[in-house]
Amino acid sequence: MLVLGIETSCDETAVAVVQDGVTIRSNVIGSQIEQHRPYGGVVPEIAARAHLELLVPVLDRALAGAGVGYPDLDGVAVTVGPGLVGALLVGVAAAKSLALACDVPLIGVNHLEGHVCATQLASGSLPVPMAALIVSGGHTSLVLLRADGRLQTLGATIDDAAGEAFDKVARVLGLPYPGGPEIDRLAREGDPAAIAFPRALLHDGSWDFSLSGLKSAVVRELRRRQAAGVATWAPDVAASFQEALVEVQVAKTVDAARATGVDTVTVVGGVAANSRLRAAMAAACEAAGLRLLLPPAALCTDNGAMIAAAGHNRLVAGERTALDVAADPNLGLAPLPLPPLERSRT
Amino acid sequence: MLVLALETSTAQSGVALANDAGVLAAATLGAQRGRAHAEFLAPAIAFCLARAGAGIPDLTAVAVGLGPGLYTGMRVGIATAATLAAARGLPAVGIASLDLLAFPVRHARRMVCATVDARRGELFWAFYRPSPGGVQQVTEHRVGPVGKLAGELSALGEDVLCVGDGAVAHRAALESAGADVGAGATDHPTAQALAELALPRLRRGEGGPPGSLRPVYLRRPDARINPPAPILVTVPPGGGEGNR
Ligand SMILES: [Zn+2]
Repeated sequence: MLVLGIETSCDETAVAVVQDGVTIRSNVIGSQIEQHRPYGGVVPEIAARAHLELLVPVLDRALAGAGVGYPDLDGVAVTVGPGLVGALLVGVAAAKSLALACDVPLIGVNHLEGHVCATQLASGSLPVPMAALIVSGGHTSLVLLRADGRLQTLGATIDDAAGEAFDKVARVLGLPYPGGPEIDRLAREGDPAAIAFPRALLHDGSWDFSLSGLKSAVVRELRRRQAAGVATWAPDVAASFQEALVEVQVAKTVDAARATGVDTVTVVGGVAANSRLRAAMAAACEAAGLRLLLPPAALCTDNGAMIAAAGHNRLVAGERTALDVAADPNLGLAPLPLPPLERSRT
Repeated sequence: MLVLALETSTAQSGVALANDAGVLAAATLGAQRGRAHAEFLAPAIAFCLARAGAGIPDLTAVAVGLGPGLYTGMRVGIATAATLAAARGLPAVGIASLDLLAFPVRHARRMVCATVDARRGELFWAFYRPSPGGVQQVTEHRVGPVGKLAGELSALGEDVLCVGDGAVAHRAALESAGADVGAGATDHPTAQALAELALPRLRRGEGGPPGSLRPVYLRRPDARINPPAPILVTVPPGGGEGNR
């Protein structure tokens, strides 16, 4: 079964063809980073315009890369939310049109469910139950995929997403956008214990995150040092900031896994490419006796393959999405269909 | 020749299916129903095909209104048309939505100013002159405050018929500049007018690949450049472009 997946919820125009929910035939991503770089973040109108420009070239390349034609498709999956509404609408319109043109079913996918399904592509099956930390420029959520297929949000950021915090601190340090890879690289030369930045909500008993305070603390500390005439070594700031962020994310993820009784943990989303987060999560999971699944970075960032995999699961379960479906920028999580989960485990 | 025409660049959305004999089926979502282009469009295409007893494989071309207008609506229409054309290997024709407003009043025997409400007190507009079998665009597409258009109308010193929801929204200002403002039926560009204008172009072989469908925005995106905060830090040599 060949499912084409379309993802346009933020700043990646992504289309992939996935066979049987696990084999990636093609995975094409049209990046808009250069268009947003001057603004230090994603500008919704620029993103929507770029999606429309990239749509047909990315579609064509995904089909050519998979070595298939439009008539070979068995279904079209698309992110219907959450995300930027103007950006989502381009992908949703394209998916509906494709479903009509090829006379195949349409299936709307929740973006976060897509992220969780990156592990299905990486491991060949979707292990249940499992705790997933989804960290990117758009979201920071801790979700539980239960044995019955229900996806439950355990906690989420109450203000900024992790990727946003990276971008903002990078800007303060005069580093280019996107800030994640820049901070990661700079931090390797710094001392993570140099500056004691706050660990927000670390001991509040919830699995929520707060990141705007951390960014403010970085700015405050740099201003204080500047006023006092104290020289500041940028790598120390990067390493100390990153450590504060990673420590909370790792602690809450491991705590949530223990509390919910799961033995498998995954980290997905663009920030899952952060080397310190990967290392710290690996160490903590090993100490706690948890199995950690870390999909390769190309599957962690927004992509069409994860949407196609999630769509495959729902199509196999007999689900269909009507052609009048609306894009929903605030879409919530729905239970995953169980039969394909069971099937994919064998 | 069987063309599917999609026009969603204003508050009203429309789909029309037409061949050389004329429009076979059409569906319109009125402006009063809100801007639900995205929900309306795909089911409306299926409806028009069923109504005409045709299927997707019978289509030989796709046409779409390119705006200017509501950016979200324009993008929904163009994404739908471009994807359909790509998937079926069909030629595609894009026509500015202001042209679609001027075309139905081609028998007015005077200068026509086609307008679309651009919100924020502004309009999109262009002037057209009746010509044999249609209209001839005589100015470029513009965007600006109603005062600028009123100034152009006064300076023209000619009898002008203004059509489109931009003129309706700013009727008083345009009428005091000496122009007439058309009534109800000419408020929005229609898919029927699009099909009528697209068919001769397609017959002349002027259809292009789906990538040739470019929206007419006329405005740059709203975006502010965020200057880096003025904080002094030391960065290692070759590491970033810090404020040393
Ligand atoms: Zn994402």
